[in-house]
Amino acid sequence: MAKTAGGLEVEGIVLECLRNATFKVELHNGHKVLAHISGKIRKNYIKILPYDRVLVELTPYDLTRGRILFRYRA
Amino acid sequence: MNTVHFAAGTSEHPVVVTRVAEQEWHALADDQVVGHGDVLPRPDGRIFLSIDAWHGPVFDQLADAMLTELPKPLYTVVDEGDRDLTSSWERVGFTVRRREWEYLVPTDPRVTGLDAVQPPSGVTIVPAGEAEEGPLRALDRAIREEAETTVGWQEMPAEVFPRPHGTTVLDPSKYAVAVRSGQYVGLLRVAPVTRLPRIGLIAVRADQHRHGIARALLAHALGSLRRSGFETASADVNESNAAATALFDGVGAQRASSNLELVFRQLNSLPDRPHGH
Repeated sequence: MAKTAGGLEVEGIVLECLRNATFKVELHNGHKVLAHISGKIRKNYIKILPYDRVLVELTPYDLTRGRILFRYRA
Repeated sequence: MNTVHFAAGTSEHPVVVTRVAEQEWHALADDQVVGHGDVLPRPDGRIFLSIDAWHGPVFDQLADAMLTELPKPLYTVVDEGDRDLTSSWERVGFTVRRREWEYLVPTDPRVTGLDAVQPPSGVTIVPAGEAEEGPLRALDRAIREEAETTVGWQEMPAEVFPRPHGTTVLDPSKYAVAVRSGQYVGLLRVAPVTRLPRIGLIAVRADQHRHGIARALLAHALGSLRRSGFETASADVNESNAAATALFDGVGAQRASSNLELVFRQLNSLPDRPHGH
Protein backbone atom coordinates (compact mmCIF):
# COMPACT_ATOMS: atom_id res chain seq x y z
CA MET A 1 0.00 0.00 0.00
CA ALA A 2 1.62 3.21 -1.15
CA LYS A 3 1.08 6.50 0.61
CA THR A 4 1.02 9.55 -1.62
CA ALA A 5 0.63 13.19 -0.84
CA GLY A 6 -3.05 12.94 -1.70
CA GLY A 7 -3.95 9.72 0.06
CA LEU A 8 -3.47 5.98 -0.03
CA GLU A 9 -3.17 4.21 -3.36
CA VAL A 10 -4.22 0.58 -3.37
CA GLU A 11 -4.77 -1.99 -6.11
CA GLY A 12 -8.08 -3.75 -6.32
CA ILE A 13 -10.53 -5.63 -8.51
CA VAL A 14 -13.81 -4.13 -9.69
CA LEU A 15 -16.69 -6.25 -8.41
CA GLU A 16 -19.67 -4.33 -9.67
CA CYS A 17 -20.65 -1.27 -11.66
CA LEU A 18 -23.31 0.62 -9.74
CA ARG A 19 -25.95 2.87 -11.18
CA ASN A 20 -24.72 6.22 -9.93
CA ALA A 21 -21.37 6.16 -11.76
CA THR A 22 -19.66 4.40 -8.87
CA PHE A 23 -17.99 1.03 -8.63
CA LYS A 24 -17.66 -1.52 -5.88
CA VAL A 25 -13.98 -2.47 -5.66
CA GLU A 26 -12.39 -5.19 -3.57
CA LEU A 27 -8.92 -4.15 -2.43
CA HIS A 28 -6.00 -6.52 -2.07
CA ASN A 29 -6.49 -6.56 1.67
CA GLY A 30 -10.06 -7.77 1.24
CA HIS A 31 -11.73 -4.48 2.10
CA LYS A 32 -14.49 -3.33 -0.20
CA VAL A 33 -14.83 0.33 -1.13
CA LEU A 34 -17.08 2.48 -3.30
CA ALA A 35 -15.11 4.38 -5.91
CA HIS A 36 -15.75 6.99 -8.57
CA ILE A 37 -13.52 7.24 -11.60
CA SER A 38 -10.97 10.00 -11.90
CA GLY A 39 -11.40 12.88 -14.29
CA LYS A 40 -8.50 11.70 -16.43
CA ILE A 41 -10.10 8.30 -16.98
CA ARG A 42 -13.41 9.89 -17.83
CA LYS A 43 -11.85 12.35 -20.30
CA ASN A 44 -10.18 9.51 -22.14
CA TYR A 45 -13.32 7.39 -22.40
CA ILE A 46 -11.69 4.49 -20.57
CA LYS A 47 -14.37 1.99 -19.66
CA ILE A 48 -14.26 0.29 -16.29
CA LEU A 49 -15.79 -3.18 -16.16
CA PRO A 50 -16.24 -5.90 -13.54
CA TYR A 51 -13.04 -7.91 -13.05
CA ASP A 52 -10.85 -5.00 -14.16
CA ARG A 53 -7.72 -4.57 -12.03
CA VAL A 54 -7.51 -0.95 -10.97
CA LEU A 55 -5.50 1.45 -8.84
CA VAL A 56 -7.68 3.20 -6.27
CA GLU A 57 -6.85 6.32 -4.29
CA LEU A 58 -8.61 6.21 -0.93
CA THR A 59 -9.82 9.43 0.55
CA PRO A 60 -8.05 10.21 3.82
CA TYR A 61 -11.41 11.34 5.15
CA ASP A 62 -13.28 8.05 4.65
CA LEU A 63 -11.42 4.81 3.96
CA THR A 64 -14.55 3.19 2.52
CA ARG A 65 -14.58 5.54 -0.45
CA GLY A 66 -12.10 6.20 -3.19
CA ARG A 67 -11.32 7.20 -6.73
CA ILE A 68 -10.14 4.91 -9.53
CA LEU A 69 -6.92 6.42 -10.88
CA PHE A 70 -5.82 3.76 -13.35
CA ARG A 71 -7.08 0.65 -15.09
CA TYR A 72 -4.42 -1.96 -15.68
CA ARG A 73 -4.33 -3.85 -18.93
CA ALA A 74 -5.58 -7.41 -18.57
CA MET B 1 4.61 28.72 -11.35
CA ASN B 2 1.46 30.61 -10.39
CA THR B 3 0.30 30.30 -6.81
CA VAL B 4 -3.02 31.57 -5.55
CA HIS B 5 -3.93 31.66 -1.88
CA PHE B 6 -7.58 31.17 -1.10
CA ALA B 7 -9.19 32.06 2.19
CA ALA B 8 -12.00 29.62 1.54
CA GLY B 9 -10.32 26.55 3.04
CA THR B 10 -10.64 25.79 6.70
CA SER B 11 -9.19 28.50 8.90
CA GLU B 12 -6.60 26.07 10.29
CA HIS B 13 -5.60 24.67 6.89
CA PRO B 14 -6.11 27.26 4.16
CA VAL B 15 -6.06 25.83 0.68
CA VAL B 16 -3.40 27.00 -1.75
CA VAL B 17 -3.87 26.33 -5.45
CA THR B 18 -0.68 26.12 -7.50
CA ARG B 19 -0.10 25.56 -11.19
CA VAL B 20 2.61 22.94 -10.95
CA ALA B 21 2.95 22.29 -14.69
CA GLU B 22 1.62 23.64 -17.96
CA GLN B 23 -1.40 21.35 -17.72
CA GLU B 24 -1.65 20.56 -14.01
CA TRP B 25 -2.85 22.34 -10.88
CA HIS B 26 -2.60 21.18 -7.27
CA ALA B 27 -4.65 22.24 -4.26
CA LEU B 28 -2.55 22.02 -1.12
CA ALA B 29 -3.67 22.18 2.49
CA ASP B 30 -1.09 21.78 5.19
CA ASP B 31 1.38 20.61 2.51
CA GLN B 32 -0.93 17.77 1.48
CA VAL B 33 -2.42 17.50 -2.00
CA VAL B 34 -6.16 17.66 -1.44
CA GLY B 35 -7.17 18.04 -5.05
CA HIS B 36 -5.78 18.41 -8.53
CA GLY B 37 -6.84 19.67 -11.91
CA ASP B 38 -5.61 18.55 -15.31
CA VAL B 39 -5.89 19.75 -18.88
CA LEU B 40 -6.19 17.60 -21.98
CA PRO B 41 -6.02 19.33 -25.36
CA ARG B 42 -7.92 17.28 -27.93
CA PRO B 43 -6.79 16.86 -31.53
CA ASP B 44 -9.46 19.31 -32.69
CA GLY B 45 -7.91 22.05 -30.52
CA ARG B 46 -10.53 22.07 -27.78
CA ILE B 47 -9.31 22.06 -24.18
CA PHE B 48 -10.85 19.56 -21.77
CA LEU B 49 -10.49 19.88 -18.00
CA SER B 50 -10.77 17.44 -15.17
CA ILE B 51 -10.76 18.15 -11.46
CA ASP B 52 -10.51 15.59 -8.69
CA ALA B 53 -11.16 16.84 -5.18
CA TRP B 54 -12.67 15.26 -2.12
CA HIS B 55 -14.54 18.40 -1.07
CA GLY B 56 -16.70 20.88 -2.95
CA PRO B 57 -14.88 24.02 -1.81
CA VAL B 58 -11.56 22.63 -3.03
CA PHE B 59 -13.16 21.75 -6.37
CA ASP B 60 -14.40 25.32 -6.66
CA GLN B 61 -11.01 26.80 -5.83
CA LEU B 62 -9.24 24.65 -8.41
CA ALA B 63 -11.89 25.55 -10.98
CA ASP B 64 -11.55 29.26 -10.24
CA ALA B 65 -7.78 29.12 -10.76
CA MET B 66 -8.00 27.11 -13.98
CA LEU B 67 -10.85 29.12 -15.47
CA THR B 68 -8.96 32.33 -14.78
CA GLU B 69 -5.77 31.22 -16.46
CA LEU B 70 -6.92 29.13 -19.42
CA PRO B 71 -8.30 30.42 -22.72
CA LYS B 72 -12.00 29.92 -23.26
CA PRO B 73 -14.09 28.04 -24.21
CA LEU B 74 -13.24 25.11 -21.95
CA TYR B 75 -14.87 21.70 -21.89
CA THR B 76 -15.29 18.69 -19.67
CA VAL B 77 -17.05 15.34 -19.76
CA VAL B 78 -19.09 13.89 -16.91
CA ASP B 79 -21.10 10.74 -16.45
CA GLU B 80 -24.68 11.94 -16.29
CA GLY B 81 -25.30 9.48 -13.48
CA ASP B 82 -22.74 11.26 -11.33
CA ARG B 83 -25.00 14.00 -10.06
CA ASP B 84 -22.49 15.35 -7.53
CA LEU B 85 -19.79 15.91 -10.13
CA THR B 86 -22.22 17.32 -12.66
CA SER B 87 -23.51 19.76 -10.04
CA SER B 88 -19.95 20.79 -9.20
CA TRP B 89 -19.20 21.77 -12.78
CA GLU B 90 -22.53 23.55 -13.15
CA ARG B 91 -21.86 25.43 -9.93
CA VAL B 92 -18.69 26.95 -11.38
CA GLY B 93 -20.41 28.01 -14.60
CA PHE B 94 -20.34 25.06 -17.00
CA THR B 95 -23.46 24.29 -19.02
CA VAL B 96 -24.55 21.19 -20.92
CA ARG B 97 -23.51 21.26 -24.57
CA ARG B 98 -24.52 17.79 -25.64
CA ARG B 99 -25.23 14.23 -24.51
CA GLU B 100 -23.50 11.08 -25.69
CA TRP B 101 -25.22 7.75 -25.17
CA GLU B 102 -23.11 4.74 -24.37
CA TYR B 103 -24.77 1.84 -26.13
CA LEU B 104 -24.21 -1.81 -25.34
CA VAL B 105 -24.65 -3.57 -28.64
CA PRO B 106 -25.47 -7.28 -28.70
CA THR B 107 -23.68 -9.38 -31.28
CA ASP B 108 -26.30 -12.14 -31.31
CA PRO B 109 -28.10 -11.94 -34.66
CA ARG B 110 -31.27 -13.31 -33.04
CA VAL B 111 -31.33 -10.06 -31.04
CA THR B 112 -30.02 -7.63 -33.63
CA GLY B 113 -32.01 -9.03 -36.52
CA LEU B 114 -28.93 -8.57 -38.67
CA ASP B 115 -28.43 -12.21 -39.62
CA ALA B 116 -30.23 -11.76 -42.93
CA VAL B 117 -28.75 -8.35 -43.70
CA GLN B 118 -26.77 -8.26 -46.90
CA PRO B 119 -24.86 -5.29 -48.30
CA PRO B 120 -26.88 -3.24 -50.78
CA SER B 121 -26.66 -4.25 -54.42
CA GLY B 122 -23.25 -3.45 -55.83
CA VAL B 123 -21.65 -3.01 -52.41
CA THR B 124 -19.14 -5.40 -50.86
CA ILE B 125 -17.62 -5.35 -47.39
CA VAL B 126 -13.85 -5.64 -47.06
CA PRO B 127 -13.03 -7.15 -43.65
CA ALA B 128 -10.77 -5.44 -41.13
CA GLY B 129 -7.13 -6.01 -41.96
CA GLU B 130 -7.73 -6.34 -45.70
CA ALA B 131 -8.48 -2.77 -46.71
CA GLU B 132 -5.91 -0.97 -48.85
CA GLU B 133 -4.29 1.74 -46.78
CA GLY B 134 -4.18 4.48 -49.42
CA PRO B 135 -7.85 4.40 -50.42
CA LEU B 136 -8.82 3.95 -46.74
CA ARG B 137 -6.97 7.11 -45.74
CA ALA B 138 -8.47 8.97 -48.70
CA LEU B 139 -11.97 7.87 -47.64
CA ASP B 140 -11.30 8.94 -44.04
CA ARG B 141 -10.17 12.39 -45.23
CA ALA B 142 -13.19 12.75 -47.52
CA ILE B 143 -15.64 11.80 -44.78
CA ARG B 144 -14.00 14.20 -42.34
CA GLU B 145 -14.23 17.04 -44.85
CA GLU B 146 -17.91 16.27 -45.42
CA ALA B 147 -18.55 16.22 -41.69
CA GLU B 148 -16.81 19.58 -41.28
CA THR B 149 -19.21 21.18 -43.75
CA THR B 150 -22.18 19.96 -41.70
CA VAL B 151 -22.13 19.29 -37.96
CA GLY B 152 -18.34 19.34 -37.65
CA TRP B 153 -15.99 16.55 -36.76
CA GLN B 154 -15.74 17.59 -33.12
CA GLU B 155 -19.29 16.33 -32.73
CA MET B 156 -17.98 12.77 -33.02
CA PRO B 157 -17.59 11.28 -29.54
CA ALA B 158 -14.69 9.05 -30.50
CA GLU B 159 -12.28 11.77 -31.51
CA VAL B 160 -10.31 12.12 -28.28
CA PHE B 161 -6.96 10.54 -28.93
CA PRO B 162 -3.85 12.38 -30.09
CA ARG B 163 -2.93 11.93 -33.72
CA PRO B 164 0.78 11.89 -34.46
CA HIS B 165 1.67 14.15 -37.40
CA GLY B 166 -2.00 14.89 -38.02
CA THR B 167 -2.83 11.39 -39.20
CA THR B 168 -6.37 10.27 -38.43
CA VAL B 169 -6.18 6.58 -39.34
CA LEU B 170 -3.81 5.32 -36.68
CA ASP B 171 -4.17 1.61 -37.38
CA PRO B 172 -5.62 0.68 -40.79
CA SER B 173 -5.98 -2.94 -39.74
CA LYS B 174 -8.87 -1.98 -37.43
CA TYR B 175 -11.09 -0.77 -40.28
CA ALA B 176 -13.66 -2.65 -42.32
CA VAL B 177 -14.75 -0.77 -45.42
CA ALA B 178 -17.68 -0.79 -47.83
CA VAL B 179 -16.79 -0.72 -51.53
CA ARG B 180 -19.04 0.29 -54.42
CA SER B 181 -17.82 0.23 -58.01
CA GLY B 182 -14.25 -0.05 -56.81
CA GLN B 183 -14.56 3.04 -54.60
CA TYR B 184 -14.36 2.99 -50.81
CA VAL B 185 -17.61 4.59 -49.60
CA GLY B 186 -17.96 3.66 -45.93
CA LEU B 187 -15.85 2.56 -42.99
CA LEU B 188 -16.17 1.07 -39.54
CA ARG B 189 -13.47 0.90 -36.88
CA VAL B 190 -13.54 -1.53 -33.96
CA ALA B 191 -11.22 -0.44 -31.18
CA PRO B 192 -9.25 -3.25 -29.55
CA VAL B 193 -10.58 -2.82 -26.04
CA THR B 194 -10.12 -5.71 -23.66
CA ARG B 195 -13.27 -7.73 -23.01
CA LEU B 196 -15.62 -5.05 -24.36
CA PRO B 197 -14.77 -4.14 -27.94
CA ARG B 198 -15.73 -0.65 -28.92
CA ILE B 199 -17.23 0.42 -32.22
CA GLY B 200 -15.17 3.57 -32.38
CA LEU B 201 -16.31 4.97 -35.70
CA ILE B 202 -18.88 4.19 -38.38
CA ALA B 203 -19.23 6.57 -41.31
CA VAL B 204 -20.41 6.61 -44.91
CA ARG B 205 -19.82 9.10 -47.74
CA ALA B 206 -22.60 11.69 -47.87
CA ASP B 207 -23.77 10.69 -51.34
CA GLN B 208 -24.10 7.07 -50.22
CA HIS B 209 -26.35 7.69 -47.21
CA ARG B 210 -29.70 5.91 -46.82
CA HIS B 211 -28.63 2.88 -48.83
CA GLY B 212 -28.12 0.54 -45.87
CA ILE B 213 -24.33 0.65 -46.04
CA ALA B 214 -23.80 1.52 -42.37
CA ARG B 215 -26.19 -1.26 -41.36
CA ALA B 216 -24.29 -3.72 -43.55
CA LEU B 217 -20.97 -2.62 -42.03
CA LEU B 218 -22.43 -3.02 -38.55
CA ALA B 219 -23.79 -6.47 -39.39
CA HIS B 220 -20.37 -7.49 -40.67
CA ALA B 221 -18.53 -6.15 -37.60
CA LEU B 222 -20.93 -7.68 -35.08
CA GLY B 223 -20.76 -10.99 -36.91
CA SER B 224 -16.96 -10.95 -36.71
CA LEU B 225 -17.06 -10.12 -33.02
CA ARG B 226 -19.59 -12.90 -32.42
CA ARG B 227 -17.32 -15.43 -34.11
CA SER B 228 -14.47 -14.20 -31.91
CA GLY B 229 -16.48 -14.96 -28.80
CA PHE B 230 -17.75 -11.47 -27.89
CA GLU B 231 -21.39 -11.18 -26.88
CA THR B 232 -21.45 -7.39 -26.58
CA ALA B 233 -19.72 -4.32 -27.96
CA SER B 234 -19.97 -0.70 -26.90
CA ALA B 235 -20.49 2.48 -28.90
CA ASP B 236 -20.70 6.16 -27.94
CA VAL B 237 -23.23 8.11 -29.97
CA ASN B 238 -24.12 11.78 -29.96
CA GLU B 239 -27.79 12.07 -29.00
CA SER B 240 -28.42 14.59 -31.77
CA ASN B 241 -27.11 12.21 -34.45
CA ALA B 242 -30.50 10.83 -35.41
CA ALA B 243 -29.18 8.42 -38.04
CA ALA B 244 -26.69 6.86 -35.64
CA THR B 245 -29.12 6.55 -32.74
CA ALA B 246 -31.71 5.01 -35.06
CA LEU B 247 -29.12 2.54 -36.33
CA PHE B 248 -28.18 1.34 -32.85
CA ASP B 249 -31.70 1.48 -31.43
CA GLY B 250 -32.82 -0.56 -34.43
CA VAL B 251 -30.49 -3.46 -33.65
CA GLY B 252 -31.62 -3.77 -30.05
CA ALA B 253 -28.68 -1.90 -28.53
CA GLN B 254 -29.29 -0.74 -24.95
CA ARG B 255 -28.54 2.75 -23.69
CA ALA B 256 -26.43 1.82 -20.68
CA SER B 257 -25.27 5.27 -19.59
CA SER B 258 -24.70 8.75 -20.87
CA ASN B 259 -21.90 11.27 -20.85
CA LEU B 260 -22.54 14.98 -20.80
CA GLU B 261 -20.15 17.31 -22.55
CA LEU B 262 -20.13 20.57 -20.62
CA VAL B 263 -18.78 23.90 -21.81
CA PHE B 264 -17.58 27.05 -20.07
CA ARG B 265 -17.61 29.99 -22.46
CA GLN B 266 -16.48 33.08 -20.57
CA LEU B 267 -15.53 34.28 -17.14
CA ASN B 268 -18.56 36.49 -16.69
CA SER B 269 -20.64 33.32 -16.80
CA LEU B 270 -19.27 32.46 -13.38
CA PRO B 271 -22.24 32.31 -11.03
CA ASP B 272 -22.18 33.98 -7.63
CA ARG B 273 -21.44 31.48 -4.92
CA PRO B 274 -21.90 31.82 -1.19
CA HIS B 275 -18.69 32.95 0.48
CA GLY B 276 -16.57 30.04 1.59
CA HIS B 277 -18.10 27.56 -0.84
